[in-house]
Amino acid sequence: MKKSLVIQFSVFILLLIYANLGVRKVATANTETVGNAGGIKVELTGEETIFNSSPADLTPDTGGTLVMALSAEPENLNYITSTSAAGKRFLDYIYEPLLNYDYETWEFGRPVLAESYAVSEDGKTFKFKLKENVYWHDGQQLTAEDALFTIKAILNPFVDCAPLRAYYAKISDAYTEGKYNFTIVTSETYFMNLEFMGGFAVIPKHVWDPQGLMDRFSVTELLDPSITREEAAVKEFANAFNTNPQGRPAGLDAEPIIGSGPFKFGRWITGDYMSLIRNENYWGADSTYIPGFTEDGAYLDKVIIKSISDYTAKLTALKAGELNFVPRMRPIQYFEQTNYKEFLESYQKVTYVRPAYSYIGWNNDKPYFSDKRVRQAMTMLIDLESYNKYVTYGMGIPTIGPFYIYGEQYNHNIEPWPYDPLRAVELIEEAGWVDTDGDGIRDKDGIPFRFTFSISAGSKNSKYMALMLKEDLRKIGIEVLIRQLEWSVYVENLRDRQFDVVSLLWIGGLQTDPYQIWHSDNIGDRGSNYVGFRNAEADSLIEAARQELDKDKRNAMYYRFQEILHEEQPYTFMFYQRDPGAYLKQFRGTKWIPIRPGYNLTSWWRYDAALGEAL
Amino acid sequence: MSQMAPARSYRQIVASQFKRNKLAVFSLHIIFILLFIFIFADFLANDKPIAMKYHGKMYFPVFREYAVDWFGINWQDQFKSQQFKILEHSYEEGDWAIYPVIPYSPNEYNLEAKLHPPSSIHLFGTDELGRDVMSQMIHGARVSLLVGFVAVAIYVFIGIILGALAGFYGGLIDIIIQRMIEIMITFPRMFLIITIVAVMETQSIINIMVILGLTGWTGVARFTRGEFLKVKNEDYVVAAKALGYKDFRTIFRHVLPNTLTPVLVTATFGVAAAILIESGLSFLGFGAPPEQATWGSLLSSARDMLPSGWWLTTFPGLAIFITVTVYNLVGEGLRDALDPRLKQ
Repeated sequence: MKKSLVIQFSVFILLLIYANLGVRKVATANTETVGNAGGIKVELTGEETIFNSSPADLTPDTGGTLVMALSAEPENLNYITSTSAAGKRFLDYIYEPLLNYDYETWEFGRPVLAESYAVSEDGKTFKFKLKENVYWHDGQQLTAEDALFTIKAILNPFVDCAPLRAYYAKISDAYTEGKYNFTIVTSETYFMNLEFMGGFAVIPKHVWDPQGLMDRFSVTELLDPSITREEAAVKEFANAFNTNPQGRPAGLDAEPIIGSGPFKFGRWITGDYMSLIRNENYWGADSTYIPGFTEDGAYLDKVIIKSISDYTAKLTALKAGELNFVPRMRPIQYFEQTNYKEFLESYQKVTYVRPAYSYIGWNNDKPYFSDKRVRQAMTMLIDLESYNKYVTYGMGIPTIGPFYIYGEQYNHNIEPWPYDPLRAVELIEEAGWVDTDGDGIRDKDGIPFRFTFSISAGSKNSKYMALMLKEDLRKIGIEVLIRQLEWSVYVENLRDRQFDVVSLLWIGGLQTDPYQIWHSDNIGDRGSNYVGFRNAEADSLIEAARQELDKDKRNAMYYRFQEILHEEQPYTFMFYQRDPGAYLKQFRGTKWIPIRPGYNLTSWWRYDAALGEAL
Repeated sequence: MSQMAPARSYRQIVASQFKRNKLAVFSLHIIFILLFIFIFADFLANDKPIAMKYHGKMYFPVFREYAVDWFGINWQDQFKSQQFKILEHSYEEGDWAIYPVIPYSPNEYNLEAKLHPPSSIHLFGTDELGRDVMSQMIHGARVSLLVGFVAVAIYVFIGIILGALAGFYGGLIDIIIQRMIEIMITFPRMFLIITIVAVMETQSIINIMVILGLTGWTGVARFTRGEFLKVKNEDYVVAAKALGYKDFRTIFRHVLPNTLTPVLVTATFGVAAAILIESGLSFLGFGAPPEQATWGSLLSSARDMLPSGWWLTTFPGLAIFITVTVYNLVGEGLRDALDPRLKQ
């Protein structure tokens, strides 16, 4: 044993000598830039937001099955009460709204169920004329009654859809005139109203309310709390609605969801897959074909959406041919693990941009982040450029604010904060954070600068960001603790504002109203202004812009609002994310769109469908 | 025996038996190396010099780091940022520094050097943030061994006491303790641990050690109980009772020392099992906190990299394999050496 120790010790000394002879070489080699993203070749397909892989001269065929994978599974499939994005995206193929986004201009207002619509001068009254040839999957006709019923369900105070109801809170009346005319009256002018009043998906009244419980109440009566409290039928309907089997059709023998869309509900095997079947009797089947996009009905016979949360498992399944389409993969999978001839021959790789940005939120009510100089300093301490280059493989598009980067609201005149650690330390010291008690950690008024960075357990990028920040801040006398939380706990803490720092992705829209996240009304009481951003000028701008129907005037206000946000830095805005994906080359009509989820399977078709029935 | 050999003590006999098992002896040497790494990790892999001469004065930053961490002493003003490698630019004539063998700390990242394969600069390559894998493994060895030893120490302690009580007294106490054991072993251990860890607010290796300790004692308790049952009617125990010794003294001074050796052999296997479980938990993300490098978490973060980053899985995987194997081999060697039937 003694001999063993002597040997070990001498080996250690020898290694030490060897290592220190070479240390100079090590130190210099470290400063050299080696390769791009650590030796992995990164090539992006430019800044395209829209990508169409379908040659225009090919006429689409029907038939074929698409098998794809999504990470999340919905908790239910009730369009009104569901809060999960996975559920809504699935139901978007089954239900349809009155209006939707135009496929070329991306303005809201392309008629779907509606044939035409009119908005009154003051922007408060919305009149829709519905198409006369629309039929539900069970053969019944879709009429204005169904649209009115949907609004009533949303407004019923006992239906579990408080977040959704908030968008419809300004409705003062809604009624039908004849079989096809439907009108909504709102009490306030609001620039996003058309998107909400025309954008809800219509659900069938005869399926969800066969007894006609809601027929007895007009919309004005439903808005009157004294009536909804008295009448038992209101609550009775809501209870039946919340638990309606249409909202959770899991299992083999479940009744299919009845909608009007290009796809019919197939199956939902919980924990395994959900499927859609082509609606052969689609009402819109005679409308004209638009290349890449279609209201012509779907082409694919069947879509199977498997629920696989693990990225490695998804890619393995894709390579094995068990999946045809993986909408999201890790950048390293995209650039490295799929970069060989056989894969590239059979699969098409794509990147597309969704209106979703990543950010780090500083809790403005915590002593360390209450001073805007500290928040600015934090932004300047994070080397976002290197982070984007090496950690996310250049998939991020830097953003300075919360608006869609390719949209009209985004202020491109704002210069992002530079990466400047020296200036950042100056700012932190200006704000009064210096090490007064000599323990190596900065403090102010007896509070040490020691905060917790909360990360969600599954997010690798947040983890890396937190680890890097911890290491960097340690050197300037700030201690970061990292706390890894399960997603449900994470969200709970966020709503209760029990955090110092969070790192999240916010999925927005082409056009958004900053009221929900940035107005001081929404601080506390589980509002979405989690970080506690308060600014009187920002508040008044947000309020004024809501009622401004003139787009240019409104966007001018938002430009100013972004300047305030930029100065205050309640968040460190990071990136709009490019999503890398891959699909089997046999699929055509694959167009990438700037609205969630980034693709629309209605237009997809399989060009060898006729030959490959066995597939 | 052809001639009278000098009387040998029990220890000597066991030692000579053990030495016959070449594999076990070799494994024991590897355990010594691991212990060496465990104790001197900061001197083996660190971004701070062990000794340096800076502007004419001698400094010992690694030692200073212990003082900073444990006694609240501060870094010298010129070293506040703790970036000693950058200080090289401000060296005067005659300044020098002796760095540890691996001149990187486990959390020191360098994005430009990310995912470098093994080379003379990074012996085991770098990970996705450009952190040195070798350095992470050396510091990860600390976590693994610490978890192994402390967890086993906790459960051996609990197991011996409960087993001793059950075996010595019998009757109602025995029944209660036996039922406790049965209740504990009905739960699959890994599942139980994951459940407990999931409801824990904070992640730390202390939690893991305690949980492993609190869930692992059943085997030791049964073993001790069995040994006690075997020994408790021996003459010396009866003699101790006849002399009127207190039960405490009888149990811990007379009976326990005669039952302990086989129990400690099982503990050797226990260390191997605990290391494996800790790695498994870290792999699943339930183990050590993110900033703590462990072999399991290294493996887990490397999983996405396959097949391109082979070095990220190979080395930590090998480390776990070797450590678990050597503990098992030493345990086997000890067991054989202690077995009186094999005595020659």
